[in-house]
Amino acid sequence: MEQHRLDAFQVIADPSRRQMLYLLSKDSLTINALADNFDMSRPAVSKHIKVLYNAGFISIQDIGRERHCILKQEGFNELHKWLAYFDEFWGSKLKNLEALLNERTNKK
Amino acid sequence: MAKIIQHQFFYPNPPEVVWEYLTKPELIAQWLMKNDFEPTIGHEFNFHASPMPDMDFDGIFYCKVLEIVPFKKLSYSWDFGPGDGSMTRSVVNWTLTEKDNGTDLLLIHRGFEGANNFLSMFNSMEKGWLELIQKLLKIINNTANGTTQA
Repeated sequence: MEQHRLDAFQVIADPSRRQMLYLLSKDSLTINALADNFDMSRPAVSKHIKVLYNAGFISIQDIGRERHCILKQEGFNELHKWLAYFDEFWGSKLKNLEALLNERTNKK
Repeated sequence: MAKIIQHQFFYPNPPEVVWEYLTKPELIAQWLMKNDFEPTIGHEFNFHASPMPDMDFDGIFYCKVLEIVPFKKLSYSWDFGPGDGSMTRSVVNWTLTEKDNGTDLLLIHRGFEGANNFLSMFNSMEKGWLELIQKLLKIINNTANGTTQA
């Protein structure tokens, strides 16, 4: 499962991963501290963390003996790119339609 | 479900005319994209755009007609991805309302796998780079920014 790199939307489609990002938005956490918030096995938590890491939503830093998860901007940029793209896309397409319809009206 | 992307335009043409431009493939192609749309519920069709490798996009929107109410309402799914079979799913809704001998056309593009709910969680954040999240919320909460948009 999840062999390929998930895109940003797929990454946040999972409620546990959204919750992880939300917790990390308050403060960076060790993997253990993060795992304590979830009723799931450690391997399951690690898998989610790996997905978040691969998609650029978090970075992982070794501080002393602990591994810390820290929120990272890259993944959010990805989401923003697409939403901004579609917003712009529809605005410009609908203007095309306006021009076409005006042309049609003026021909009559 | 909360709205993600919304545009409203007024066209000085009756809904019957605007409807044609939403449902006839050759007319759709004139303002939107090449397509094999058919106004039949369940019909699967594609829109063809240019691939954008930097955005992991193969250039094809994979769609399926979900709802048709002639001259009033049209809805189709709108899935896209890098071409390896993984898809981001979304839905495009068109609503036509007759007004002043013309048509108010409302577009709502939503879904995106729960992106809206997710982003609203970040509402209260204050860290510097999270201004980005604010921008995102702005797009999401943006209403009726049709023809006045620069």
